[in-house]
Amino acid sequence: MRHRLVGWFCVVTTFCAVAVAQSPFAPKVTGPLSKRVVAYQIDAKYDPPAHSVEATETLTYHNLTGQALDTFPFHLYLNAFQPQSTWIHEAHRDGNFRSSNLAHWKPEDYGSNVVSSFEVEGMGDLTNQMKFVSPDDGNPNDKTVFQVKLPRPVALGQDVVFHIKFKATFPEVIARTGYKRTFLLAGQWFPKVGVWWHGQWNCHQFHALTEFFADFGTFDVKVTLPKDYVIGASGVQVSDQDNGNGTKTVGFHGEDIHDFAWTADPNFKVVNETFNGSVGSVRIRLLTYDSHKQSWDPYIYCMTNTMKRFDDWYGPYPYAQITVVDPPHGAMEAGGMEYPTFITGDSGWYIPPGVHFIDLVTEHEFGHQYWYGMVATNEFENAWLDEGLNSYTEAKVLDNMYGENTSVINWLGGQLGEPEVQRLQYLGSPDFDPLARHSYQDASMSSYGAISYGKTASMLLTLEKVVGEETMKNAMHVYFMRYRFTHPTSEDFVNTVSEVAGQDLSWYWNQAVYGSQVMDYEVQRADSTPLKWWDENLKEKKGETEYETQVILHRKGDFVFPVDAVVKFDDGSMTREHWDGKERWVRYVYRKKAQVESVAIDPDYRVTMDRDYLNNSRVTDEQHGATHKLATYWTFVAQFLAQLLSWLA
Amino acid sequence: MADERKGIIAAGFSLLWRRQGVLWWVFIVSLILGGLGALPATINIGHALNHSLAGQQLTTRFDLGMYIELLRLPDVNITRYDPAVEVSVFLFFLFTLFVTGGILETYRQDRRLNTGEFFSASGAFFWRFVRLLLLSIVPFVIVGLIYQGLSKLADHVGDRAIADQVGIFSSLGAVIIFMLLALWVRLWFDLAQVRAVVQNERGMWRNLWNSWRITWHAGIYWKYVAIALVAWVTLGIGVVLWANVPSSSTPLIFLVLELIIFAQLATRLWQLASAMTWYQRYAETLVVVQPIIETVPPPVEVIETPVVTDLPPAGAGPELPPADA
Repeated sequence: MRHRLVGWFCVVTTFCAVAVAQSPFAPKVTGPLSKRVVAYQIDAKYDPPAHSVEATETLTYHNLTGQALDTFPFHLYLNAFQPQSTWIHEAHRDGNFRSSNLAHWKPEDYGSNVVSSFEVEGMGDLTNQMKFVSPDDGNPNDKTVFQVKLPRPVALGQDVVFHIKFKATFPEVIARTGYKRTFLLAGQWFPKVGVWWHGQWNCHQFHALTEFFADFGTFDVKVTLPKDYVIGASGVQVSDQDNGNGTKTVGFHGEDIHDFAWTADPNFKVVNETFNGSVGSVRIRLLTYDSHKQSWDPYIYCMTNTMKRFDDWYGPYPYAQITVVDPPHGAMEAGGMEYPTFITGDSGWYIPPGVHFIDLVTEHEFGHQYWYGMVATNEFENAWLDEGLNSYTEAKVLDNMYGENTSVINWLGGQLGEPEVQRLQYLGSPDFDPLARHSYQDASMSSYGAISYGKTASMLLTLEKVVGEETMKNAMHVYFMRYRFTHPTSEDFVNTVSEVAGQDLSWYWNQAVYGSQVMDYEVQRADSTPLKWWDENLKEKKGETEYETQVILHRKGDFVFPVDAVVKFDDGSMTREHWDGKERWVRYVYRKKAQVESVAIDPDYRVTMDRDYLNNSRVTDEQHGATHKLATYWTFVAQFLAQLLSWLA
Repeated sequence: MADERKGIIAAGFSLLWRRQGVLWWVFIVSLILGGLGALPATINIGHALNHSLAGQQLTTRFDLGMYIELLRLPDVNITRYDPAVEVSVFLFFLFTLFVTGGILETYRQDRRLNTGEFFSASGAFFWRFVRLLLLSIVPFVIVGLIYQGLSKLADHVGDRAIADQVGIFSSLGAVIIFMLLALWVRLWFDLAQVRAVVQNERGMWRNLWNSWRITWHAGIYWKYVAIALVAWVTLGIGVVLWANVPSSSTPLIFLVLELIIFAQLATRLWQLASAMTWYQRYAETLVVVQPIIETVPPPVEVIETPVVTDLPPAGAGPELPPADA
């Protein structure tokens, strides 16, 4: 009897587990969460030796645009990895792309998407109507966007169903897609329709640095691959069928997501963990390797702690699962990427304790589930709303997890905090492009990185000085809850923050978002002179002689921002000044029986947009401690190099 | 001598210890040149930091961000001070090349040379050592090429393996082989220097050939390897010590870093002292192999002699005259 009960219990719990596992949402969430414009059904067959996928795609597009449509553009991203594509041109123009050496680009690095058949239900075979277009740069050799004009328009509110047969050939891993040995990361691999946005199609070519903008919908994807492969994908797994011929077909289902990526490798090890959030449990599925065993715990620790903070601060993660891929060695180009409910991290066989590299990447990519995945901004045009907001929350989360100043590195005596990382990135190229410029049009890759990531993070950290840290946290929460599963713009974000702060912040946005002004404040002067300086018999005596202290603060940059300055005197007294920064300079004069000891603008280093921290303070008596320390290191380096060279003598 | 009973490594260390004045002297020159190399950067860093509270970020702890920010300043741009460091490095290299003759002569005589004797020996061997240095380029380049090949092979193997470790350890293997080969070349040329000093050898080609032959003999190479291992271990210990020194304690940091340099220099001189000891103790028996000259013996007249049955005991013989007779 007991055995029978146990048996029934097992059957019931198994049934429940399957039912829960097949739902794409966390237990307390029911869809739909978005305006579902698209429904993709893809049946793909993976050929590992050829690194290619043959697939049929059925796309149902719901015309919710408010008008009839007769032209549809599609992305064919893998064609970016062809010698004359815009992607290659841009990547080569600015040097290399991440770790890829484009000067030694080989045919195995090529990738392609070839559509062999394009049919529209009720309208027949329109393969011949496909036309490559280059809306951004007119490059006739770029084949990352094609469009089809239908024989008759799709009326408002009607559906149109596309049947597409295509072959995707993956390059050796580059730009977060492709293969390495038996590993495959299939990203940007299927024909994906553009977004009807602001009264027109928005379907940019694949650029070196921007690639995301798509409509929300549902994805049902089946992948047939060798039986020994372990596969992971966006959404949740809903089926696994042995085909009896050495292959299997694995089905995935996702709802309210706007892209679909998958990965496969027979050498994957699966590590499962559960995060219990405000809307129920979420399964963390880590696909990793035996040789990365040391990284498994850091991955899980980072994921659970990051998810908790996002859940507490910004809003719930509503999906049932998040798949985390830890790429194998040599596939660094696959690392650090985001797709809906699917991210790739980066690790190795050994990372020293105190170097939070795994966290840095993993936190960032999970953050994209919010700033890209759910709040689906247009990365081509407003990358700062995607990479930038994410870099800001990355700084907040990592600082909270590992402490300010030590959130990235706390090893061998050296310390580095995430806000400083963002700030240094910003300082690399602070004034070429405003945030508001279309990101793919930025001056260079370094400017794109400096502006989209570093400047946005620094700009929002600096804004905390004006509106307060808690207000900023609340503003991010409101922005997330208000715009999740939509496509907000820059204005939506700045208006939300202003609204939550209850302030007109246009003076700030005009400089930080729409302008390229640079901030730099300095203490130009700080000294004390006896009031009776003309008295030849004056004998200065501490605590008795009266001095006049002159302090001049100078705004060197063109970014106007209110700052605080702390003035310390040698009698231990201290005064704090607040300057609106509108004039070029300001003078403060003090008359007291003490001399000035130091003056510091922003003594806590919170105004991270200030381009030069070293001139933010001034001490009247020289302090040699830092110089001596650095001299010690420089001397050691010179000696060590000398000793190495002299080994040859 | 007591050293006769010691192994080469112990005897080498003993010699290094007895003649430690040489080591201290080399260390002080290293410190002075290092300090001079760092001086321009130090002065400019001082201009940027001495009147700023930002320096506290580098003393109370070591804020890498602030350090990078400092180096980004046009006046403190690190690349501007490379030449000063490069010159100091090159000067120390020249200095080492110059004084090696004096150091080896000190070790050969195992006594404290006065300044004149030391520099006289240094000068006497300088050009010979310059020639050796130039000749050493060839084997070092060959070793470098071997390393390149091994490194590519390691990359190839690693790239095809599933586990990262295969590539890492293959590369590490390539580095170890490279270091062992480079150490062998170093030993070869060290012995050539020792021979030049002990034998007052002037022909460097001949010297190299003789040194090449003795380098293959006996276990001096593995003794060199052992001392090199000591150098690596002391370096590792130094780094661990440095990592545990409080960031605010600059004098202690200085002390630990200089201990690292001192240990590296000491192990290098230990190798030279061991090479000298080994050479003086064994090498000549290996190299003084006279060429065998085939000669035809003169015809011997055979004379019949009576059989002597009453032989004297072994060792007995006619008494030799005194040497000065």
